[in-house]
Amino acid sequence: MSSTVTGAILEVDNLEKHYGGVHAVDGVSLTVERGSITGLIGPNGAGKSTVLAVVGGFVAPSAGRIRFEGVDVTRTQMHERARRGLVRTFQMARVFGNLTTIENLLVAAPGQRGERAVGLLGGRRSWGAQERQLVEDARTILDTFGMATKADEPARNLSGGQKRAVEIMRTLMMKPKLLLLDEPMAGLSPSLSRQLEDVLLSLAEGGLSLLLVEHELDTVDRLCGKVVVMAQGKVLSEGRMSELRLSREVQDAYVIG
Amino acid sequence: MAWEYYVVVMLVYLGTDLLAVWGLNLEFGVSGVANLAYIVVVAAGAYTFAVCTLGPSSGNGGFQQYIGGFTLPFPLALLAGAGAGAVVGTVIGVTGLKRLRQDYQGVAMLVVSLMVVTVVGADTGLLNGSAGLALIPNPFADLDPEVARWAYVAVVAVCCLIGFMVLRRFTTGPLGRTLRAMRDDDTAASASGKNVVGLRLLVQAVGGAFGGLSGALLAGFIGGWSPSAWAYIETLAFLSCVIVGGRGSDRGVSLGTLIIAVLLLQGVQFLPQIASSPGLSEDFGWIILGTATIAFIWFRPQGVLPERRPKYLGRASSKSAG
Repeated sequence: MSSTVTGAILEVDNLEKHYGGVHAVDGVSLTVERGSITGLIGPNGAGKSTVLAVVGGFVAPSAGRIRFEGVDVTRTQMHERARRGLVRTFQMARVFGNLTTIENLLVAAPGQRGERAVGLLGGRRSWGAQERQLVEDARTILDTFGMATKADEPARNLSGGQKRAVEIMRTLMMKPKLLLLDEPMAGLSPSLSRQLEDVLLSLAEGGLSLLLVEHELDTVDRLCGKVVVMAQGKVLSEGRMSELRLSREVQDAYVIG
Repeated sequence: MAWEYYVVVMLVYLGTDLLAVWGLNLEFGVSGVANLAYIVVVAAGAYTFAVCTLGPSSGNGGFQQYIGGFTLPFPLALLAGAGAGAVVGTVIGVTGLKRLRQDYQGVAMLVVSLMVVTVVGADTGLLNGSAGLALIPNPFADLDPEVARWAYVAVVAVCCLIGFMVLRRFTTGPLGRTLRAMRDDDTAASASGKNVVGLRLLVQAVGGAFGGLSGALLAGFIGGWSPSAWAYIETLAFLSCVIVGGRGSDRGVSLGTLIIAVLLLQGVQFLPQIASSPGLSEDFGWIILGTATIAFIWFRPQGVLPERRPKYLGRASSKSAG
């Protein structure tokens, strides 16, 4: 109920993740508003990626609650969260290397008839039309990212930046509601990363919510409305980037680590 | 005619090997499940076929003991064999459910394979122990022997034909693409909304059915089945067909089966026998098989006929030109 009141798509409440005695995430609470880009920053080892992994369902939390669109998804499996529209990317871009670029996109399309019993029994007749539509969708996304010429290239042959683009395009095929991006700009050329910034901004304008872990603070400044600062597993501060830059506490955390 | 009988034997072996290799390729080549216990599903099919056709254990003077004991018609017994393979394949699949890395999964399944063959070999009341089951009735025993042989070849051919059509439903199209994505990176597949656990169990059930049918057909043809027929090394022979032929490619692994399982492992029988070491030619076959497999992994990991992916570019360029 609270989500409809606050307009939050994601509410993380008192999240903890312990590895043995190490408290990688130690009581983190944060919210992501619908249609906003929220930044998650902090020094190395602050626990940002762990928060993303737990929210995405890749790692089970030690304690705490995660609510997505007002529904508790704390114990929901990763693929189930993805189907509901809570989708993540990885710090190291992961592609399906033996599939072509366009196939990498097609795989991610939800609700494919060809994957189900009806498709197995009916063969191409039952899924051909849907498949043609998906190919069109995929081609549109490839054009947006300027990668249409790589459509039939096996994904393993792509450069690091192109693989990252493939990963983001793949998540877009899933028609996500909230995208968790773990350092999407890492390893991208400056021009490509500005291009990606534009794409992310237009996606947010279109109603997509984003939670972004990023080291490049200028990028965070340009993209994010709200920014959450983490250090040593805890939330240190939150606000607009311009305010946080002036904060003594945040500066110390970055210098001392 | 002796050569005619030999041809029949080769064709039956080729057909049953093809079914098994297709099943293993669906699991390992397409979906990335390193099922080193694959021969167990073949054995499950063979034993099920045997106890479904042998009749009660007291028959034939009660010289062999086994559970069950039915006299089902031949087609039903074949289906039972395939069904048993699917069930056992799923059970083996459960051992790999824990989020284990693929290589650990392979080891876990190899251990399953060794355990099952030991148990079945040791317990004489279950499936007649290490002596195995004999006198499995031939479905065409009433016919003229020569006609009966070719009738069996025809049955195997029909099974292969139907099997290949079913197989293609799984290895091509959106499902085949999703399975290959899971093989390439199961974490990313899961993050893309794919139920990796469910898909793994699905391919192990379907692959198991292929192996079970293969075993049932083989047992019906040979008329006997014992633990020596399904040592873990037999899985490696099938695996070798997959690797040499072309992992993930249905046509490739079919060619691999012809090369490895038929031409190589049967071809060495023609080597001159040495009286002092009668098993030498067979050993020689395994040595060549191992060497060929390693050579392919090193120098041509994609196999003789590599997996091919569909192209979409042609359609798009014609569209943009128009």
